[in-house]
Parts: sequence; structure tokens; C-alpha cells
Amino acid sequence: MSKIKFLFLLITIFTLLAGCGQAQEGNASSVSGELNFYTSQPDADAEKLISAFNEHYPDVNVTVYRSGTEEVISKVQAEKQAGEVQADVLLVADSVTFESLKKQEMLLEYKSDEAEQIPESFVDPDGMYTGTKVMSTALVVNSEKVSEMPTSWTALTDADSSGQVVMPSPLYSGAAAYNLGVLTRNDEFGWKFYENVKANEPMITQGNGDVLKAVANGEKSYGMVVDFIVARAEADGSPVKLVYPDEGVPVITEPIGIMQKTDNQPAAKAFVDFVLSQEGQELAAEIGYTPIREGVSAPKGLKTIEEMSVLEADINELYQNRELDKEQFNQLFGE
Amino acid sequence: MANHNHREVMPNQALRSLFSYKNMIKILAILAICAIFLLPIYRLIMLSFTSDGNLTFLNYTTILQDAATWQVVQNTVLVVAGSTVVSLIIGVSLAWLVAYTDIRAKRVMQIFIVLPFVIPSYITTLAWTQFLGTDGLYMKLASLPPFSVEPIDLYSLAGIIFVLGFSHYPLVYLLTVSVFRKIPRELELASRASGAKRSTTFRKVNMPLALPGIVSGGFLAFLANLDNFGIPAFLGIPAQINVLSTYIYQQVVGFGPSAFSRAATFSVLLGIVALIGTAIQWLFLRKSKRLETTIEDKQPRYFLGKRKWLVELIIWVLFFVTGVVPLISMGMTSLITAYGVDFTLQTISLENYQFILNTSSKAKEALGNSAMLAGVTAAVGIVIGTAIAYLRVRKPNFLSKFTEVSIGLPYALPGTVMALSMIFAWMEPVPGWNPGIYGSIMILFIAYITRFLILQVRGSITAVMQVDLSMEEAAHVSGAKGWSKWRKILLPLLIPGVLTGAFLVFLSALTELTVSSLLWSSNSETIGVVIFGFEQAGYTTYTTAFSSLIVLLIILGFIILYVSQSYWNRKVGKRT
Repeated sequence: MSKIKFLFLLITIFTLLAGCGQAQEGNASSVSGELNFYTSQPDADAEKLISAFNEHYPDVNVTVYRSGTEEVISKVQAEKQAGEVQADVLLVADSVTFESLKKQEMLLEYKSDEAEQIPESFVDPDGMYTGTKVMSTALVVNSEKVSEMPTSWTALTDADSSGQVVMPSPLYSGAAAYNLGVLTRNDEFGWKFYENVKANEPMITQGNGDVLKAVANGEKSYGMVVDFIVARAEADGSPVKLVYPDEGVPVITEPIGIMQKTDNQPAAKAFVDFVLSQEGQELAAEIGYTPIREGVSAPKGLKTIEEMSVLEADINELYQNRELDKEQFNQLFGE
Repeated sequence: MANHNHREVMPNQALRSLFSYKNMIKILAILAICAIFLLPIYRLIMLSFTSDGNLTFLNYTTILQDAATWQVVQNTVLVVAGSTVVSLIIGVSLAWLVAYTDIRAKRVMQIFIVLPFVIPSYITTLAWTQFLGTDGLYMKLASLPPFSVEPIDLYSLAGIIFVLGFSHYPLVYLLTVSVFRKIPRELELASRASGAKRSTTFRKVNMPLALPGIVSGGFLAFLANLDNFGIPAFLGIPAQINVLSTYIYQQVVGFGPSAFSRAATFSVLLGIVALIGTAIQWLFLRKSKRLETTIEDKQPRYFLGKRKWLVELIIWVLFFVTGVVPLISMGMTSLITAYGVDFTLQTISLENYQFILNTSSKAKEALGNSAMLAGVTAAVGIVIGTAIAYLRVRKPNFLSKFTEVSIGLPYALPGTVMALSMIFAWMEPVPGWNPGIYGSIMILFIAYITRFLILQVRGSITAVMQVDLSMEEAAHVSGAKGWSKWRKILLPLLIPGVLTGAFLVFLSALTELTVSSLLWSSNSETIGVVIFGFEQAGYTTYTTAFSSLIVLLIILGFIILYVSQSYWNRKVGKRT
């Protein structure tokens, strides 16, 4: 009898303890539930990120929506107008885009501890968004058509390269719009640079992918394009070469931010922390991007942030003038 | 009962027998049409009159005063009119040749004719630019003859017009060829016997009778040319040529706070262009005549004799440049290990296909999703689209015309705009109430039906117009009523035409890109979304491998459809 009683008591205690343990664990992290992640990263990369995140937080069910930055933002804006934004966490191309969301009061303030390891200029001082990687825009050169690799952006303006230049349109590509803003505000370049490019009768494409294609298939010799797609194509064996010009390169940082009206703040914050953490950054480098966190090395073929000379401009000024810049570009190249 | 009255009463009876609570169905149908087709358009129009939350004409006044707008409208009209004419000329000529002459290998030709419609348009344009580029095959050929051959610049208005026209002629062909076949040769013979020349016979007999098909196909080509984004984007942006579809996209991605309103305003302008097109096709169709017999006659009527090889050569050259060159280019890219390397024995492998079929689970899921979406959309289209087409032909009143216009508009709107207005319309159909349609796969079903129903309606209208009312009356007089009339008379006669429409719906839904890329969520990826994803990540080799696979599957499906269609025709032919 007593044995059975004892056993019963034991079971009861264990059950209670187990129950308590679960409840306590749940309260401590309370990271679970649904998380809507909108991003412009390629699908496969987003997938890897989420499965790594889920190893730490298995109870969070992350749903991804992936498209070009412009489409992601259009979708968010349309959702806002239609009633409520579905996204919890947003990760898209550049800080100017985030600046616009910040001005519309669509972002939640969150100062992640992990952000301390990230260069100050890539973190929003108000804690609305933080850069997650480094993507520079550099030169892509067709290695079959060009024997001597250029070292300067003047490769695009030299009379020799007339008819051989390709670049993405800032009217369609967010990264190209950012580059336009930075280069035209830089003493070394200014609008004069774009006027000289224009004199070479460049081909203007919709996106960066088209630039790479035009150079890879030999239609053009020189292009202006984001670095990582060139490094990947080069590694696969395409006849292209990535060149970081000596003057420096404009850099976008694919910032991450939490939406103001998120239903799941704990999960959103845990996700941001993970992306910025040592492990998250090593994953980014493994996938093929230049990481943004100090002390994590860049993948083969790409420079780390310390090795790059970065061309910069005031984010706020870029945000204020983006429409005007685009218009001016349109007028210059529309002539 | 006077014959006149009888003709008016008939359609009602035909439908009453199908649906017993006719009026209830009618009201429900009107409500459904309003909700599905007009709600998004209504939201869009409202948006175009909104600025900073206020109702205003401001968007219109600023946009209409901008000289750039008129340049864009002018480009759009030129491009759409030009490419539609190109589509009509090629589509009608091919349909005539296949239907009436003794050229060989018609079955195989059918497959090549559909190819340009199946291959994604960015692949087509890429192939064309490679073919005509400075290092391309064309310039190599051009350097051979002693005289100089001008290089062709595709990055121009003419380039856009031709590539669009070549991509959309299958729409005209498919809706025209069976109509040509159904025109009784006795009519032609009678005309010839009365002394009319071949050209006169064609103009006075074949053309008026074939008009429903030609106009339907031309109208679809017109809408497709108006909406197309890929071709004018790829060829127009480098040349600074904007048309409405690319300009609207540019406005949307510019995303200032006023961008949606501006984009909506441009969409309304685009809608007006589409309405003008609708008015033109209505003017044409007003004079069209109906046929009394409806059996497809596949025996050749004209023997080309010594010129046959020349005609065949021209056709195969056309197929070669519009279908085979892009396809070969796509296939070659799908086999190389890295984009841009030369195509040699050392560089080819099947690893891209292996990735698509084995490594990436997304591709397989997307195939399943898209096949299901396309199948359901086509099935819904067959029932609803044919019912609408039947009403439109037999009861051409204001309501049925209005319905047709409402259904046509979503097909003409650029995909981006259409998708955005779907978000506005379906996230909270009634303000404050979110039924969860947006964010689930339901939104894709609704979007596809909204967008592609017009293809079925046009296909079915062409089919219904070929059935003379006297056929129904005869059935009626002989005592066949209700369902048995549909089953024994109408359906067998309609099915080939209805299937053509369903085939177009299925194909379009299967490879749909823009709408799904904005509306999908992570468990409802479609083929288009996956292809777009690979392409944006710079994996052109995966894109082309997946596209090649789709094209192969579609060709397979087309062969199956073709075989079953001819089997059906034989069966119907035997019965009558």
C-alpha cells in the first residue's frame, strides 16, 4: 500500500515539476508562434537562415515572402493602405528604403545587443534598423574581351569603352538608385561622371542580374553591378571578373528592422538578434555575402568591410533627394 | 408564336433548364461578378482620385499636364496597335494555310505555333538579342554576302513591336483555325461558281464568317500586348522607351507616398485604352455572320502545287526564328555549368536539372501548386466562362456586354497593379473584417480566375457563335430540352472551341508570374515565383532548366490534348 502511495506521490511530484519546468521555460524565453518575414534575399539563402534560426527557436514558425526590394515595399505599403501590415520582420536592400519607412512611423525601435559589434555607420542611431551584410557595387569585366583589368571607375567613361558599357537603371533598381545618390554627392564623381558615362552610350538594364548577363555573354565588356553575384558567377566559371575600383565603392547593407505593428515582438527580436550574431554572420559569409560584423571573414573573391574603401553620403540627404535624383537621371539619359 | 419571339425566348429556356432557380442564380452571378471583377477595379479607380486621403482630381490634372504622359500614351498606342497587327497577320495567315491548303506536317506545326506563347517572354527576348547582337549569329551570317547587311537594333520601337507580335500570334491562330475549318466549302464553291475570284471569295465569304474568331483572337492579342511587361522592359528601358505597363511599374517602384495614386491613375488611362480596343472589336463583330453547320472540315481546299515547298519553307523559317531559336538558346543555357561559358562538350551537364528535380524541393512543390491552381482555374473557367459566353451571344443586352468588359479589364491591367488592387480588395473586403483570404492560397485562385476568365469567355464566345440558333431550335422542335439538349447538341459542338479557351487559361495560369509574385505566401509558391526567384538571385542556368522542363511538359500536354480533341471530333463526326 505504502509503496503504491509513494509511487503515486512521486509521479505527482514529477508531473508537477515537469509542468512547472515547462511553464517556466516558456515564460523565460516565450519565443514561439508565427513570424512573417519579408525579404529581398534569394529564396535559398532565406531558407538557410530560417533553418539555422529554428535550431535555436524550434517553436517559431517563420513564413517567408521573398521578392525584389521594390515589390516587397509595394506589398507592405499596399497592406498598410488595405488595413494592416502582415510582415513582422523586414530585410531589404538599402537604408534609404528603411529611412522612408521610419519617416512613416512603420518601424519598431529595437536596440539589439548584437549591434555593438557592427560598425556604427551601419546602425540607425534611433534603433529602427541595422545593416546585416555588406554589398558593394563594383565593376564587372568580361575576361574574354578585356585582357588588362581596369583599376578605376573611369573604365566606364573612357572613350575606348564606348558602346561597351552596361548599368542598371536607378528608376527600377534600389541599389542603383542608392549608387546614383552617393556618386553624384561625391566630389570625385558628381553628375559629370554620369554625363561621361552617357557619352559612351551605355545600355541601361532593369536590374543587376541583366547587367551580369550582358557582360557574361559578351554583349558588353564593362558593367556596374553588385559584387556578390559576380563572385558567384566567377566561382561557377563564367567569363567575368570582379574589380573593386581604387576610388572606392558605394555600399548597401541589407538592413533588418521590425515592423511597428508586429504581433510577435519576442520572436521578431530573437530573429534580429540571430541575424546579427556571430553565428548568423558566419552563415551569411558561408552563403556568399560579405558579413557586416567585425571579425567575421568574407567569402572567397569578396573583400571584407575593413578592406574596402567605402564611398558614403548622408542617409537623410539621400532619402530627401531620391525622387529628384531619379528624375534628373531620367532627364539626362532620356535626351 | 412568331419566329422573332421564339428566338428571344429560347436562350432563357436553355438556361432555365440548366439552373432551376434562374433569378436567384442571376442575382448571385451579378453579385459575384461585382465582387470578383469590379471590386478591385473600383478600389483602383477610387485610389486614382485620392491624394493625401482626400477626394480630388489632382492626380489626373498633374499627370495629364505632363508631356511625358503623352509620350508614354503615344508609345503605348503605337506599340500595341503595331504588335496586334503583326499578330493578326501571322496568326490569320497561318490559320488559313493550315486550315485550307495542302501543306504537310500540320500536326507538328500546331506544336510549333503554340511555342512562342509558352516560352517565357524574357527568354524569348534574351534569345533574340543574342541572335541579333554584335557577336550573334545574324551578324556572322550578315558578313558572308559581298553586299553589306544592316544590323538590326532590337532596342527600339520596331523591335518591341515585332517581338510582341511574334509572341502573341498564337492567340489569333488558336481562335481562328477551327473557325476557318467550319466554314462550309460549299459556300466557297458557290461563290467561285458565280464568278467570284479567289480573293473576292475570301473577302466576302471567309472573312465575314471567320470574323468572330479573328476578332476574338485579335482582341486577346491586343490585351496581351497592352499588359506585357517583360518585352518592353527588356528592350525599351535601354532605349528609354516607356509604355504604360513599364511606366506604371516604374511609378510603383518609385514608391513615394503618392506613387500608388499615380500608378492607379495611369492604370485608369490603360483601362481607357483597353475600352477603346473593346469598342473596336465590337464594331467589327456587329457585322459578323453565323454558320449553320459546325463540323470541322480538315480536307485541304487549295492545292499550292509547285509553290508548296516555298510556302512551307517560309513557315518553317518563321517557326525557326519565333520558336526554335529561343528554345534552343534556352535549352543550351540550361545545360551549361555557368552562364556565359561556351557551349562545348566539356561545359555541358545535367546538373542544373538535377538541382531543379532533386535538390530543390521548391521546384516540385511549385509544379504541384501551379498545376492545381491552373487546373481549378481552367475548370471553373469552362463552366462559368462558357455560361457567360452563351449569355453574351444569345442575349446581347447591356448586362452581358457590361459583364464582358468587366471580365476583360483585369487581363489588360499590368500584373503589378492588378496584384496590388487585389490586396486592397481582399485583405478587408468589408472594412474591419479580414476573412483570411489574403495570405492563403485562396487569393491566388481568385486572382487567376479574375485575370484569365476572359480567355475562356473569348474561346467560348467563338465556339457559341459558330452554332447557329437554328441548331438549338431544331433540337427543341425534336423534343430535346434542357440538359439533354446541352448534352446531345450543344456540348459536342462547343467542346473543341471551349477546350481551346481552357487550354489558354491553363497555360497562362501555369506560368503566371507577376500576380503570384506579389500575392504568394510561403506555402503557395508557383512556377512563376520560383523562376523569378532563381532569376533574381542570378541563377540563370536554373531558370532556363526549369523553364525548359515546363516547356517540355506543356508540349507533352499539348500532344495529349490534340490527340483527345481529334478523337472527340471523330466521335462527334460519326454520330452526325
